[in-house]
Amino acid sequence: MVARRKEKKSQNRIFIPLEGLNQTLENLSKHFTVWVPMPSGENEWSLEFKPLHRGCKILLDRQSTLPPKKVILPQGQTLIEYEYKKSESDPSKQDLVLREVIDESPIIVFGTRPCDVRGFLVCDKVFLQGRYIDVYYRARRLNTLFATLFCREADDACFCSSVGSGPADMEGSDIGITPIDGGWILEGLTDRASEIFSLCDCEAPDEKQIEDARRVQEEVRSMRVGNLRTDGVLEGVKGQFQNMELWRDIAESCLSCGVCTYVCPTCYCFTITDEPQGLRGERLRSWDSCMFYQYTQEASGHNPRPTKLERYRNRLGHKFSYFPLRYSGMIACCGCGRCIRSCPVSIDIRQGVERVREAHHGCVCS
Amino acid sequence: MAVYVPNPYLPEIGTVTEVIPETPNIKTIRVLLRDPERMKNFNFRPGQVAQLSVFGVGEATFVINSPPTCKDYLQFSVMKVGEVTNRIHQLVPGDIIGVRGPLGNGFPYEMMEGKDILFIAGGIGMAPLRTLLLFMLENKNNYGEISLIYGARTPQDMCYRYEIPVWQKRGVNVVLTVDTEAPGWTHRVGFVPTVLSEEAPSPKDRIAIVCGPPIMIKFVLFGLRELGFEDWQIYTTLEKRMKCGIGICGRCNMGEKFVCLDGPVFSMEELQSMVPEL
Amino acid sequence: MWSEITKKLQETVQNIMPQVEAVIGWERGFNEIRIKPVVIKKEGDISKLVWNPFCVQNLSGYLVKSPAVIPREGRRVAICVKGCDSRSVTALIQEGFLKRDQIFIIGIPCSGTVDWRKVMKRLERSSVIHRAEIKDGRLMVEHAEGVEEIPLREILLRRCLRCVYPNPTVSDVVIGETVSPHIEKEDLYKDVEAFERKSLDERRKFWAETLSRCIRCYACRNACPLCICQDWCIAERRDPKWVTQKPTLKDILLFHGIHALHLAGRCTECGECERVCPMEIPVMFIKEKLNETTLRLFSYEAGIDSNLVPPLLTFNPHETGI
Repeated sequence: MVARRKEKKSQNRIFIPLEGLNQTLENLSKHFTVWVPMPSGENEWSLEFKPLHRGCKILLDRQSTLPPKKVILPQGQTLIEYEYKKSESDPSKQDLVLREVIDESPIIVFGTRPCDVRGFLVCDKVFLQGRYIDVYYRARRLNTLFATLFCREADDACFCSSVGSGPADMEGSDIGITPIDGGWILEGLTDRASEIFSLCDCEAPDEKQIEDARRVQEEVRSMRVGNLRTDGVLEGVKGQFQNMELWRDIAESCLSCGVCTYVCPTCYCFTITDEPQGLRGERLRSWDSCMFYQYTQEASGHNPRPTKLERYRNRLGHKFSYFPLRYSGMIACCGCGRCIRSCPVSIDIRQGVERVREAHHGCVCS
Repeated sequence: MAVYVPNPYLPEIGTVTEVIPETPNIKTIRVLLRDPERMKNFNFRPGQVAQLSVFGVGEATFVINSPPTCKDYLQFSVMKVGEVTNRIHQLVPGDIIGVRGPLGNGFPYEMMEGKDILFIAGGIGMAPLRTLLLFMLENKNNYGEISLIYGARTPQDMCYRYEIPVWQKRGVNVVLTVDTEAPGWTHRVGFVPTVLSEEAPSPKDRIAIVCGPPIMIKFVLFGLRELGFEDWQIYTTLEKRMKCGIGICGRCNMGEKFVCLDGPVFSMEELQSMVPEL
Repeated sequence: MWSEITKKLQETVQNIMPQVEAVIGWERGFNEIRIKPVVIKKEGDISKLVWNPFCVQNLSGYLVKSPAVIPREGRRVAICVKGCDSRSVTALIQEGFLKRDQIFIIGIPCSGTVDWRKVMKRLERSSVIHRAEIKDGRLMVEHAEGVEEIPLREILLRRCLRCVYPNPTVSDVVIGETVSPHIEKEDLYKDVEAFERKSLDERRKFWAETLSRCIRCYACRNACPLCICQDWCIAERRDPKWVTQKPTLKDILLFHGIHALHLAGRCTECGECERVCPMEIPVMFIKEKLNETTLRLFSYEAGIDSNLVPPLLTFNPHETGI
């Protein structure tokens, strides 16, 4: 028994049979919160990542509608709890007690795709690698592991290979999941994986399964998803900044809703609000969207981005120009296509990028 | 994982020590941090800002307008425009206020050494300049002639009126102006840009530092350029809606620059290279 | 059939182009089942215009929401409308947001539009869609994994399955044959009635489950042609503060309640709120209940007669039955 466990510990690959997935993850959920993609309702097409519960329906056959962004950046997150109290030394005075709410509980996100994890690599630049470190993001990020699928499910909105990633990109993932006949092969990519495997209670794959997985991985590696060209966009956004005809052309049908930003794995912008309940309450961080009018609305009444055109320009510009200018060339788009798919008016960010490119190159040439 | 990382969102708890009404809608508050160590070590550059919080209402960004050498209090001037500022206006000495800072870049006063300095302010725009002005007066030997053109709509809208004679006594060449004639007003009448062109200061070895409402800044810039000031000689400090104040939450960007982190102080030269999204 | 109507549409637009500022219509999106709005301003772009059951969007919001497509003095903006969309246009005229003589309405009878998610559900996986064709009441999709044929009725949007105004109620020109409604008018609120027969617990459970998916992207609000104050919405304003930013069911419910109540007696049931929801929440259902009430109390339907004043925008001291 001891010997067997030892052998398991050193495993770098395990096989999970189709019918054993829930059980395996339930084993893990004794030690971690396990997030998996599941249908958001009984009859709905959309999937979202939710914490595993007994008997839940795990779906690994298509991209989730909402990315796992909320695992690290919840839609609403308490930063500080506060409470006004009577001062002990002077009862005529008030005292304020603050409590930071930092969550360091261990998490596994199972069934992410390379685009999902790429989203966190983008966010890391902002939250972990700037002048200030976001302790809330850091606590969750350091305690979260990603088990990522070699992705074979690209559709016509996907373009991960065009933005520095790809369907076999395992950067940032701790475990690679390869779907094969009859189940999945899990492969350790970081030191943290072996700990997980030892808790899974799964067999090692046989030679044939390893060979199957190798073939699938090879196939996925050879895929190029998307053919967006981004050259010239870095400079193009600035060069075309005041070309409002161009931005009108790109964003005239925009509704100014937050769908694109909320389904985006790399859109991290947030607001901070105080939510009181009597003498106590919380300082809350919640998702915000640069598509909203109120996002940049100043108390004085001035708004630097008064219409959807300026706001869309900022979103596209941020992803393809401002962010790479600031963070050593990294495009802040993971090519997951969610904004395209979920947009109520089917605005295609690829088309916007292409228009900016054309306008830019047109300018350079003439 | 055991590395200690300070929480940049956690404010220091401070106490309001004094409230000075400046104008009908501007109040200056002085704040003492409760932790004497933190108060002693609260080092900042003129032009840097802080987030003031009233828990239960929220946070807003204000420039610290006491001089860096002042360890008795931190001073902020607050114009009543929104939810948080309304609440700050209700504070009285002894009340609690959160302070998060210093944030932002501050003025590059080192490169201004040896030069004549021209402050141009309109209304509440005097607040960010006050710190630098006082700092320069404390280090007067490092700077040439210091002058100030300060305008407000009416005499009642002028901040720090009680201090201006002190500044003059300490050698600042002050020109005051209001938009229209007012009873008892003995100084200039007219908009700041007009007064600037009447004064016609020479751009030679001079740095101009401008702060005020956007429309004033626009025409002052025009006037300064007319006088021969080049973009590197002109500094201003920007305002944007901010939340985090530390370059993370996203909203105060102008292209790849964040006003909260890379600013709020920019030279006109820098602004020219940034996207025009003011 | 669709290509014929498209051709007629393009010809019509060609003819009116000299007199109008712009034409708001639909064009192909990133694949054949995803269509997007387009604003045509020059003749060369007229060929982009299409009409088919994938033309889901209600375009009337573009006439009023900033930066709106507004005609210069003495000119008009042309807009393509389905039956449901035409009611939004009328409602906007009723409420004074739009002038009838500023717009040229191109009406297109519509036998129902397609819910792309229902198509995907039938394909059972995400896939590259090469071709999609609707013929004789069936959709044929050619995708990366094969070909699928689906009866059109099974993939129509819920709003279309309960549509009683498939033909434009107001128009300057109509393109295509008149079509008959999917249901009888007296069945319009059958779903509401059925739902109301459920127990309070069941109803509460239903809304708790569906609304808990809401991510507060406000697409439902912004896609609504009548939610004209979207930028100053109480849901995002802090002063006065009614709704918090907390992602709790209570706050979500409050937002949807406010949204629906602000549309009471105004909603034309175009179903855009529900169609655009990325989380597939049946938000129009709430408005259906309010409309059922409006119909019962005031015998009023929004967006039918541009001379009527919506009941909650008027005050009649002799009103009975309330």
